[in-house]
Amino acid sequence: MVRIRLENITKEFGDFKALDGIDLEIEEGEFMALLGPSGSGKSTLLYIIAGIYKPTKGRIYFDDGDVTDLPPKDRNVGLVFQNWALYPHMSVFENITFPLELRKVAKGEIRRKVAEVTEMLKIENLLDRYPWQLSGGQQQRVAIARALVKEPDVLLLDEPLSNLDALLRIEVRAELKRLQKKLGITAVYVTHDQAEALAMADRIAVIKDGRLLQVGTPEEIYERPRHKFVGGFIGNPPMNFLNGFADRGILRIGKSTIPLPKEYESVRGEVIVGFRPHDVEIGEGIEGEVYSVEHLGREQIVTVSVEGEMVKVIVPGDRRFEFGDKVRLKPKKIVLFDKKTETAI
Amino acid sequence: MRDIETKSRKSELLIILTIVIASVPMILAFSLLVLSSFSEEMVTNLKSFRPTLENWINLFQGKMAITGSIRVNIFEITLNTLIVALGVAGLVTIVSTLAGYALSRMDFRGRKHVMIALLVLHAFPGVALIVGVYLLYKLTLPQDPDLMRFYSFFYVILARGALEIPMSVWLMKGFFDAIPWEFEWSGIIDGASRITVWRKIMLPLVKPGILAVALFAFIAGWQDIIYVRTFLIDQTLATFIESNIESEFSHMPLIAAAGTLYLLPTIVFFLIAQRILLQGYSGGLKG
Ligand SMILES: Nc1ncnc2c1ncn2[C@@H]1O[C@H](COP(=O)(O)OP(=O)(O)O)[C@@H](O)[C@H]1O
Ligand SMILES: [Mg+2]
Repeated sequence: MVRIRLENITKEFGDFKALDGIDLEIEEGEFMALLGPSGSGKSTLLYIIAGIYKPTKGRIYFDDGDVTDLPPKDRNVGLVFQNWALYPHMSVFENITFPLELRKVAKGEIRRKVAEVTEMLKIENLLDRYPWQLSGGQQQRVAIARALVKEPDVLLLDEPLSNLDALLRIEVRAELKRLQKKLGITAVYVTHDQAEALAMADRIAVIKDGRLLQVGTPEEIYERPRHKFVGGFIGNPPMNFLNGFADRGILRIGKSTIPLPKEYESVRGEVIVGFRPHDVEIGEGIEGEVYSVEHLGREQIVTVSVEGEMVKVIVPGDRRFEFGDKVRLKPKKIVLFDKKTETAI
Repeated sequence: MRDIETKSRKSELLIILTIVIASVPMILAFSLLVLSSFSEEMVTNLKSFRPTLENWINLFQGKMAITGSIRVNIFEITLNTLIVALGVAGLVTIVSTLAGYALSRMDFRGRKHVMIALLVLHAFPGVALIVGVYLLYKLTLPQDPDLMRFYSFFYVILARGALEIPMSVWLMKGFFDAIPWEFEWSGIIDGASRITVWRKIMLPLVKPGILAVALFAFIAGWQDIIYVRTFLIDQTLATFIESNIESEFSHMPLIAAAGTLYLLPTIVFFLIAQRILLQGYSGGLKG
């Protein structure tokens, strides 16, 4: 088990900067999610930790040792690829034992380790099959078994659930988290699914366009996004944004005004106000018109048009709304973002 | 829901019909050849088929068609053909598997140029090169007669193989290109060296490609006549048949038997190749 420290990691592919000055520390035994949209550089960062890619600039430390120039095999990491990369010409047993065979582990030892890891992942009766004879969920378990069998210091997972169907994904993610905690292994988990990151991770690192926007616990990321993008990327539905003007503790949005909380009293000028759909009461506040209503059983999502911008509000299911109803929205918790930089004020 | 790969019945029928019609002349020609080899005279209509095994017996006794009495060793000729074909196949397979991997996976200087050069080289017909290739042959041919014979085999394999290599390298590069990088990375993370990954992971995955390249090269070597006649001191089936046709006194059914023997591996290998190429690794990558 190691602590990973990334220092100013930059990766260029030709002229293209895939990663730009990433600083990140991952604690021993921590489950860190790298969250970001497709193409943001998550896999690239994971591959740099694994040693598949060399960073153009920056250093990587495992505990206090600099591993930047170590080849992958000397880093003792396990990697589960997005497509699982099970060797098609090898049986499940051969796939799992491949890393051990290469290390010339004794036969008896191999058998013991395979038994242990396959039992843990409940695939002990699949050993004679070939990858193409397995379901997606089974293939994924085999890939995890192959990564774990060499008892790595770090487990790296690149969107391992993205090839599973939705129900299985929810089942497996709980199991995977349990497994990681049981083994106490340091894990870096790449995903573009914010729900997955919120559900599984101890901490989340949000990446966009090769830059690290925010690192924090799921609560921090959810409650206090430090960048407009983070708020808009996390939560379902995500955070609402409206343009406004702040002046002496009052926020003006179009014709309406709402009071600002204490911490924002000194803010003056054009801002973007963000608030979560759950954190809105319908009553006094920002004027709008009901645009559409979606019932979700116990609650409903009401989309309200405010000054031509759409705002989603989640309210209890028993209130009735009609299209065109005039409503007033009162956000209970807000975050202000700078209009230009889109970072939190 | 219908599988993507199943075409509608009607268009499928049309395709099959077209294929059948297009192959009628070829199948007819081959059938007549094979039938004639078992007949006393060339089969041109139903009446001219008079069954006999004589042609095959004569062939294996090494009787040349021209005079009907001079003996050549048909087994030796077949063996010669086999040596050339296997030599070309071996050379082409080894070179194209290595070069294909390098071109697909390694970033080295001049990689682009090599790839363009391969295409250009492939565009040159073998006949166009033969003068230069012959000059080189003349210059390097040893004087000792035994050595000369051996060298002529070596040379024809090298020269004929060289003609096949550009296309085969392209083909192998394509097969390697189709393998996701993740397989290679996974192997390296598991602790394998690049060579071990190539041997234990990549090679098994491109097996269909290797077999295809080997089969095509084998047949190229087996069928070749121009290079063999120019450089090889010994005879192969191709030159043997050719030397028989040259005379107007030839006993054609005997040549038909030799022709059938000459075609046999081509047919067998294409049947095998077809199965291997279609088989591939179905569902190898993802569930
Ligand atoms: N080997 C490569 N060569 C050139 N560009 C690459 C390479 N790998 C990734 N990229 C680019 O870097 C960016 C980040 O890629 P990646 O890390 O795979 O994103 P993610 O995993 O977040 O979807 C993408 O724009 C991608 O096109
Ligand atoms: Mg990715």
